[in-house]
Amino acid sequence: MASVYEGPIQALIDELGRLPGVGPKSAQRIAFHLLKIPPEDVARLATTIVEAKRQVTWCRRCFNFATGDLCTYCLDERRDRTVCCVVEEARDIVAVERTHEFHGSYHVLQGAIAPIEGVGPEQLRIKELLARIGDEGITEVILATNPNIEGEATAMYLARLCKPLEIRVTRLASGLPVGGDLEYADEITLGRALEGRRDL
Amino acid sequence: MHLASLELRDFRRYVHADLELGPGVTVLEGANGAGKTTILEAAAWVALGRSFRGVPDATLVRDGAETAVVRAAVRSGSDGVGRHQTLDAELRRAGRNRVLVNGHALARARDRLDLLRVTIFTPDDLALVKGGPAGRREYLDDLLGFLAARYDAARADYEKVLRHRNALLKGGLRGADAQHTLEVFDEQLARAGAELVRGRLRLVGRLEAHLGAAYAALAGRPAEVAGRYEADWAPDGIDPDDAEAVLRDALVALHRREVERGVTLAGPHRDEWRILLDGMDARTHASQGEQRCLALALRLGGHAVGRETIGAAPVLLLDDVFSELDPTRADALAAALPAGQTLITTATTIPTAVRPERHLRVEAGRVLAGAA
Ligand SMILES: [Zn+2]
Repeated sequence: MASVYEGPIQALIDELGRLPGVGPKSAQRIAFHLLKIPPEDVARLATTIVEAKRQVTWCRRCFNFATGDLCTYCLDERRDRTVCCVVEEARDIVAVERTHEFHGSYHVLQGAIAPIEGVGPEQLRIKELLARIGDEGITEVILATNPNIEGEATAMYLARLCKPLEIRVTRLASGLPVGGDLEYADEITLGRALEGRRDL
Repeated sequence: MHLASLELRDFRRYVHADLELGPGVTVLEGANGAGKTTILEAAAWVALGRSFRGVPDATLVRDGAETAVVRAAVRSGSDGVGRHQTLDAELRRAGRNRVLVNGHALARARDRLDLLRVTIFTPDDLALVKGGPAGRREYLDDLLGFLAARYDAARADYEKVLRHRNALLKGGLRGADAQHTLEVFDEQLARAGAELVRGRLRLVGRLEAHLGAAYAALAGRPAEVAGRYEADWAPDGIDPDDAEAVLRDALVALHRREVERGVTLAGPHRDEWRILLDGMDARTHASQGEQRCLALALRLGGHAVGRETIGAAPVLLLDDVFSELDPTRADALAAALPAGQTLITTATTIPTAVRPERHLRVEAGRVLAGAA
């Protein structure tokens, strides 16, 4: 889209349009909203962004978000340090936490192997994971990467790396969503669940 | 299943057209360029979510309009007397298209297939027989996806893995990390590829009988039509249970050459499904007339497999099918038309054996009811 608005307005639209999930139309809508609301509201938003950016860093150990040296999970003494759940992004931790089933530690890879996007293992926090396995006495690694091509590739890559380390490596089972009716499960999931069925 | 009516708004050259349709044969007659094919394209868009001519959706919106709408009233069910349902497809020049069923947005794009499925034949389908293997692979994969969602997924997975693997090979594969990553993508390519190949082999097995029958009916003579699935990575033939391991080993053996070429050299994206007519490769040995018959037999065979699988005949769309056939074969096709709904476009008179239920005249982007 060509610049249609005066300098600062267009600059704002352009900046907002760079955010993930914000298309040109949304960028325009948000910009107009910001220009309409009281200056103190805008200032508060701006300060919040700057402050969050200043205070939040990566956890030195697991690469989750953290406001200090370590994140809340790494600081929590009650968590089992021998089991480590490996996820792609910090937001995936929230999903695992919601189950209340996992009490181990985490490791955030900050991405997944995707050669099309130029992302290889060296761009991910894999060396750091291997170092942790040696240093922290981790005995089981749970590979909780996404069940798509990139997530599977990353899990397979990690499984190969971990093999000589003689630790337990597990992968989240993919299958039917629990609590849903079979009737509503999509055919692909159902087809794969059938293929991967287990004896009871 | 059949289309009870079809309405076009701002679709290609049509400002507005409203067609009353029904079971049996409907003939759409008009001069070349009058807009006959557009009617089929609109009907097919509702079922497929894309143009069968392979053009971008934005080009289907009429010049000067922002949104094209195709509304199809369909009756589903094997007997065609199921309840009336409406499918609305909205194509936008800019922004997302959407499809509504009875006024509600579709949760999954595939759900529309429960209401409407189509089989399309166009004169370009000659390339299925006459052209290279890519067209035949696409024919098989399209049909597979049409029959089962998991093959749509397998195909998408395979294409994604292939792109990743090619990107990796193009990068020159420097270092141990890259070498290990390639091995991971070998496994993934073999897994997704084997799934796709198993589907193709099963389909090919089911198709063969239908192909032979359709061809014999069109050619007016008994003939042996066979397909031979060929893969460089399995020169002695494919054992479905073993395909994954065999493909993986083939990839490993090719690593050095693949790095030199920067591209994946083995897998279902390079396989061939050779069509044999009386034991000879139809691509090189069949006459033009035989090739046309075979192309049509491929579509009719796919149509029959589709009917077998879903328990109802898809709507058959035949674009300009008679102009390319000699009179004997045209009569044979008319006699061999499967039961169900068929829409036929023609610029000339059609064989008397067709006996259409409806006859519509198309002139410069308008549809006129014609004398039957
Ligand atoms: Zn941490």
